[in-house]
Amino acid sequence: MRTPPHAARLVTPAMLMVGLVLATVPLWIAKVGLYPYLGVEILIWSLYALAFNLLLGTAGLPSFGHGAYFGIGAYAFGLFQFNVAANLWLCLGAACLAAAAAGGLVSLFISHRRGIYYAFMTIAFSQIFWVLAVKTHSVTGGEDGLLKIARLPADFGVAAIDLTSNTALYYFVLVVFMLGVVGLWRLTHSPFGRVLSAIRQSETRAAHLGYPVRRYKMAVFTLSAALSGLAGGLFAMAQNSAFPDVMSLHYSGIVVMMVLVGGGLVSFWGPVVGVVVYLIARDVIGAVTNAWMLWFGLLFVAIVLFKPEGIAGAVQSGRAALAPKLRRRSPPLAAAERG
Amino acid sequence: MLDLLPHLINGLTLGLLFALIALGFMLVVGVMEQINLAHGSLFALGAYIALALLSPNPPLPAGLAEWWLANPPGRRYVVAFLIAPLAVAILAIPLEFAMRRTYGKDPLYGLLLTFGAAMVIEEAIRLVWGTRDYVLPTPPAISGGFIGLDLIWSTYRFYAAAVAAGVIGLTWLLIEKTPYGAIIKAGAHDSEMVRALGIDLAKLRTLVFMLGAALAAAAGVILAPIWGIRPHMGVDAVVPAFLVIVLGGVGSFWGAVAAALMVGMVVGLAGAYASEWSLLSMYVLLVAVVSVRARGLFGKKSILEA
Amino acid sequence: MAMLEARDIHVRFGDRVVLEDISLAVEPGEFHGIMGPNGAGKTTFFNVLTGRVRPSRGTVRIGGEDVTGLSPHAIAARGVARSFQIMTLFDEFTARENVEVALPEFRARGFDGRRAAVGDPAFAAAARAVLAEVGLAEKAETVAKDLPYGDRRALEIAVALAQRPRVLCLDEPTSGLGLDGVTRLAALVAGLKGRLSIVAVEHDMEFLFGLADRISVIHWGQVVAHGLPAELRANPWVRRSNLGRLQ
Repeated sequence: MRTPPHAARLVTPAMLMVGLVLATVPLWIAKVGLYPYLGVEILIWSLYALAFNLLLGTAGLPSFGHGAYFGIGAYAFGLFQFNVAANLWLCLGAACLAAAAAGGLVSLFISHRRGIYYAFMTIAFSQIFWVLAVKTHSVTGGEDGLLKIARLPADFGVAAIDLTSNTALYYFVLVVFMLGVVGLWRLTHSPFGRVLSAIRQSETRAAHLGYPVRRYKMAVFTLSAALSGLAGGLFAMAQNSAFPDVMSLHYSGIVVMMVLVGGGLVSFWGPVVGVVVYLIARDVIGAVTNAWMLWFGLLFVAIVLFKPEGIAGAVQSGRAALAPKLRRRSPPLAAAERG
Repeated sequence: MLDLLPHLINGLTLGLLFALIALGFMLVVGVMEQINLAHGSLFALGAYIALALLSPNPPLPAGLAEWWLANPPGRRYVVAFLIAPLAVAILAIPLEFAMRRTYGKDPLYGLLLTFGAAMVIEEAIRLVWGTRDYVLPTPPAISGGFIGLDLIWSTYRFYAAAVAAGVIGLTWLLIEKTPYGAIIKAGAHDSEMVRALGIDLAKLRTLVFMLGAALAAAAGVILAPIWGIRPHMGVDAVVPAFLVIVLGGVGSFWGAVAAALMVGMVVGLAGAYASEWSLLSMYVLLVAVVSVRARGLFGKKSILEA
Repeated sequence: MAMLEARDIHVRFGDRVVLEDISLAVEPGEFHGIMGPNGAGKTTFFNVLTGRVRPSRGTVRIGGEDVTGLSPHAIAARGVARSFQIMTLFDEFTARENVEVALPEFRARGFDGRRAAVGDPAFAAAARAVLAEVGLAEKAETVAKDLPYGDRRALEIAVALAQRPRVLCLDEPTSGLGLDGVTRLAALVAGLKGRLSIVAVEHDMEFLFGLADRISVIHWGQVVAHGLPAELRANPWVRRSNLGRLQ
């Protein structure tokens, strides 16, 4: 019996490396001309992008309005904090649940479809949520946003950690992020992940094998929305505010671009790569020219046309080309399982 | 009850404009067999180019700008209305070239490509014009309002409806009564046969794409004074276009027009009861329609079935 | 009691009647062939049997249970496996992975998001056993899209077998295969006879006549002839609509 490939492990070497590197970021980030808060942003967006890629990369479902769930999480965090309890864990839980509820509701309407219909439905729902956020001034603050959202302390009973400083917040978000990574890696390599990948390749085939495809699509959408909401809650805490613009289609489009450029279609880590590239482009290239986003958009279009496997995919093929012997020993893994 | 009348007229006007947008969208779907998510951005570009031409400092070389501004607003408006669609049609050519690469592949790539194109166009608009709302100046002859039947009517809406109807009519004449239209219809129906007849399919696709873009841009110029001009206005155009072809099917001209009028009426009437939420009604309608039905009322099975 | 029974199946698309009062019964262990010209409604009939199309009238029974109008996954869960005329494999998966995902025990854990599926020895062993049956044991780790056409056809059969069906529906299984491939497929299917019920739509009459216990001929949406292969050789419909390679 051959040994199970590393995908069966709970924690992979790649994860440990990434975790280690990320843990050291606050020590050197200022030295390279950046700033600690960028690290927080990278982690939060990466969590969001990984959650999003459950839909696009793993299940092949184009959700072009995913910002709605990120935004709902952000608002839920703030509203729960103001109106119910200023407890970090409960607020984050509320963010998750609110986004899951919205995602679950939407998934009821869209899960019998895919492709273009699916995309337009997600756009339509996203617009509905966005308009609701903008118009219900009394609840959400409308265009003025929900302000003064506090960075609640991480209270473990025996001790509470103050998260007001960017560095402390960074480490908290890092722990949440790594937990998310472990969970999502697990999920993508579990039977559930395999079924999603099968559904992406052929819904008809999957249905005729006995899989209730609609139920799977509902489940993955709800899960993806929930995690996006968690990221949104962290974002509200980081920004000390929640604004409707994160729910706009423009913002939803950004996560699509990040994920694809990074290589989310073929690689688990692709979305993270894409987030890093985007945010660094924003800060480094953005310092030089206002047109940085235009260039990123053109990069996205070029990648869709010429290299849809993205940056991570290009690295993978580069590695395979350089070490063909190695490739034969560990047999080619399915797209959902490449690390 | 009578005060619903202006809203009904609004609905009718909107419906005719939706028909214009949807026809352009449908032509592209028919002949290129791909959905162009950037169709709304072309709509927006039309409005912005007209805005640029009609602004107090148009993007023309100094001498030309002086001459241009000396013309009466009415004449400038007509010229802008003719030039904007033409300009957008030409600007749309690279997009058509790009779409050729995704033809035949997994439809997801076409979606992603046109989605990216929409983001790029929107970003370019933001760079040039910023994010604030603009108003398209309309010549006095068609602006303002009048009173009839104890109600206030907007002059522009009647003009908009008339022009939209006119353009729709011209498009119909082109498609049904000219040899070019016959080729377009054949291209939508059977690309193999068109090729066999010696017609350059690539050129046909490009021309149809340009026509579709021009129709979207024209609609953008006409709708701009009603909706206002802002960078993300394209979404509110591409969504009804899609809704219209879901309702009316891809193959039917009058099916699309009928469906567009229906959608316009719904939005117009929603505006009667809660003006802030009128566009929202369009999105809710999309959700309702796609949840319930897949095929159109008039047309045959479409490529959307993928 | 028939394993699969279709009674008075009537299907109309718009105002076009595609299937008219089709009745057909397949006994346990029987190989029932379906032949007929293109456009006669054979694939639509399959779509009715597997839940893809809902008949306007009529019933479908599997093992006595009325399954008319159930969705494809519900019918598949009741022991109906299907191969497709235009092959639908999971092209990014290896042959083994394609088969694994078809295993009922794998499907039972479909919503398990916690434990790893990769490398689970029980699934892999079961999958390899099925692959060995169709002669693809050595190619278990080859990605499906890299397999030659004949092997992909065999893989389709393997995937269907992995479901451990009571009824196997084959939609033009010899399509695209050369003489060698057809012979190989015929041997494979012959080995399955008796273990499960098979319904096969085919144009290759030699293939069908060599394996079928009974044959139904569908033409213009109706069953125009029905019976033992020997009886049908003399049937005028069969002779007239001879598209196969029957000498």
